[in-house]
Amino acid sequence: MMRKKTCVAMLLAGGQGSRLGVLTKNVAKPAVPYGGKYRIIDFPLSNCTNSGIDTVGVLTQYQPLELNAYIGSGAPWDLDLSNGGVFVLPPYQKGKSGEWYRGTANAIYQNMAFIEQYHPDYVLILSGDHIYKMDYNAMLDFHIRHGADATIAVREVPWEEASRFGIMNTDAEDNITEFEEKPKNPKSNKASMGIYIFTWEKLRQYLTRDEADKKSSNDFGKNIIPAMLNDKQVMVAYNFEGYWKDVGTIESLWEANMDLLSTPMPIDLHDKKWRIFARNPAMPPHYIAKGAVVSDSLITEGCEVHGNVSHSVLFAGVKVEEGASITDSVVMPGAVIHRGAVIRRAIIAEGAVVNAGAFVGESEGNIAVVGQNITIPAGASVAAGVQVDETTTF
Amino acid sequence: MKDVMGVIYTGGSDARLRELTMTRAIAALPVAGRYRVIDFLMSSMVNSGMKKVGVIMQKNYHSLMDHLGSGKEWDLHGKNDGLYVLPPFLTRENVGVYSGALDALRSNSSFLSRSKQEWAILCRSDIIFTCDMDAFARHHVESGADITLMYTRNPDMKRDEYGSYLAVDADGTVTDIEVEPTHPNLDCTSMDVFIMKRELLRTLVDKGVAHGYHDFTRDVVMRLMNEHSLRVGSYEYTGPCWRIDSVQSYFRFNMDILDTDTRHLLFSDGNPIYTKVRDEMPARYGDHAQVSNSLVADGCIVEGTVENSVLSRGVRIAPDAHVKNCVIMQDGQVHSGAYIENCILDKQAVIKRNARLIGPEAYPIVIAKNVVI
Repeated sequence: MMRKKTCVAMLLAGGQGSRLGVLTKNVAKPAVPYGGKYRIIDFPLSNCTNSGIDTVGVLTQYQPLELNAYIGSGAPWDLDLSNGGVFVLPPYQKGKSGEWYRGTANAIYQNMAFIEQYHPDYVLILSGDHIYKMDYNAMLDFHIRHGADATIAVREVPWEEASRFGIMNTDAEDNITEFEEKPKNPKSNKASMGIYIFTWEKLRQYLTRDEADKKSSNDFGKNIIPAMLNDKQVMVAYNFEGYWKDVGTIESLWEANMDLLSTPMPIDLHDKKWRIFARNPAMPPHYIAKGAVVSDSLITEGCEVHGNVSHSVLFAGVKVEEGASITDSVVMPGAVIHRGAVIRRAIIAEGAVVNAGAFVGESEGNIAVVGQNITIPAGASVAAGVQVDETTTF
Repeated sequence: MKDVMGVIYTGGSDARLRELTMTRAIAALPVAGRYRVIDFLMSSMVNSGMKKVGVIMQKNYHSLMDHLGSGKEWDLHGKNDGLYVLPPFLTRENVGVYSGALDALRSNSSFLSRSKQEWAILCRSDIIFTCDMDAFARHHVESGADITLMYTRNPDMKRDEYGSYLAVDADGTVTDIEVEPTHPNLDCTSMDVFIMKRELLRTLVDKGVAHGYHDFTRDVVMRLMNEHSLRVGSYEYTGPCWRIDSVQSYFRFNMDILDTDTRHLLFSDGNPIYTKVRDEMPARYGDHAQVSNSLVADGCIVEGTVENSVLSRGVRIAPDAHVKNCVIMQDGQVHSGAYIENCILDKQAVIKRNARLIGPEAYPIVIAKNVVI
């Protein structure tokens, strides 16, 4: 018998993230590196810890190996607890059946037993797709204060972009009156962030009902939310103001990294009261050699820089040889940039090697990407917008 | 290596480290931008497969206890074995402060007797090196010696009146020992790392204390060796090592690891050095930063000029500040227009706008913790 928890978080981390191209070929999107030392999932996990939510189920499905290894016991986020903590929840066999997660709602449905162990009053649903700092506990207080059955976090987007989002129409008291998925003529600019708090009793009923409906696509946005609205359940919108960045595409991931180089940083990662925790690779401080030129960049432990780095983000253990130059780029853990190579507007994935004199990316145009553990031959060129994987020939 | 336990004695003289050890033991002294002195030893032990490490505390041990915590960072938080923090405690026989390693071991003899490992490695905490303890243990067992002492011929290891020195014959047997000689005559420098059967260590400690001795090397090992009742073997360590016992040696160690080859020997891929993690964001460099030959830890913001220096976590170097040949500990700040050279800034020290501070190379200036200049 587990001790009761007021709120349990369920983090949907099963998506493939296919728009990240070669970056998610071997890793799930939440495990994609960001910001010099983090992975995307560090943000929702750290938000949970900082919000006092200490029981988190992480639903995995696509390429879970690296993500599972990264989460491990949960110690980096203080989520290695005797009562609660972080749990990786892959799909599993049940009786004679056994199936993959068919949709976001189905993934939670299949793990109702996990949630029930803690007899929670509320369940927080999160995704592993965004960079943001948010106090979920404040959102929970809001939910309780409004006596809501469901609370949906929203943020105001520019009106001209509203038709690209799931839009919540609300009354003056933040009650959601209507939900429109990508409306042609939006009546509101409050976009859903895919962060929900449900009163567990209610959600359980709707998940069960939804599961029985063979025509449902078992999705929160498409099925559960509309069904609850239809039944006039109390649904409120929780306004979030602050940095919130989708990192679902190559361009947006690159932009989110570049955001950390502007002054002041739009998301304060120095904030001692709201640390973003990450698994530490146990490497010494980085070394900047004599003759190296480093400006306007983020550099972390284990890097050795002998060349030029400007307006770029370097992850742990990156080596930059003499005469190599990196501009407007993101270089992920353990990558090596050899002598005289030139990297511009590019993302170099984990463990990739760019040999001497090679060119990756151009000073304008789309972002070039070199996939995990790929070697770019000496003197080769990778044009703007090109993604290099094992099948690329030079 | 499961069968070898570690005992680290963190007492020892710290007077020549001046302000740096006012509030902390040498073991807890911040080095190399993100470590404490003891991290290298602890990591070597753990990387060699050792599962039980006792750390005997002597004085000023608050920061050391804070650093070690439950031993989690070194994976020493298991149900069996793991990290044992052993602070002094008052007993009828003991007034709380140990008068040397022997006395400290005696007070912790129940820790020794309750352990189940067959062998014990005993060492002090003021030497920085990384070593395969497994190879050391195998050498000891194969040689048939009662005790094996680790030594180095590395000329970088300081030879002065504060060390111990050995003479070793062709078989590796130790034939002579000097402890704190005015002028060292013997050519092997002891690293004060011993391995022996745990039971033997217990017996030697009991005997030593019963005779009123204080110094383990001089009063116990040397004496018994000279009486031929103990066979003392030796093991040569060939990697880099530093004894941190003065401001100068502290400064030199930090400067030495700016050399890439030396640094790669100390931080090799197979031997990660673990430490308490602070979860700082990566270091940020400004538009006009100029950095050369320096080690910079996470959480730093560098907007000025930094040469030949070591910056610990969370250090801020303002635009137009100039830092040369300095060691700056956690959260130190150098403001705009300031120039500092050959200085050691302890934690949270602040050098205000336009200040100039130039120490002689051989005698760096120490700015104590929290001091504002």
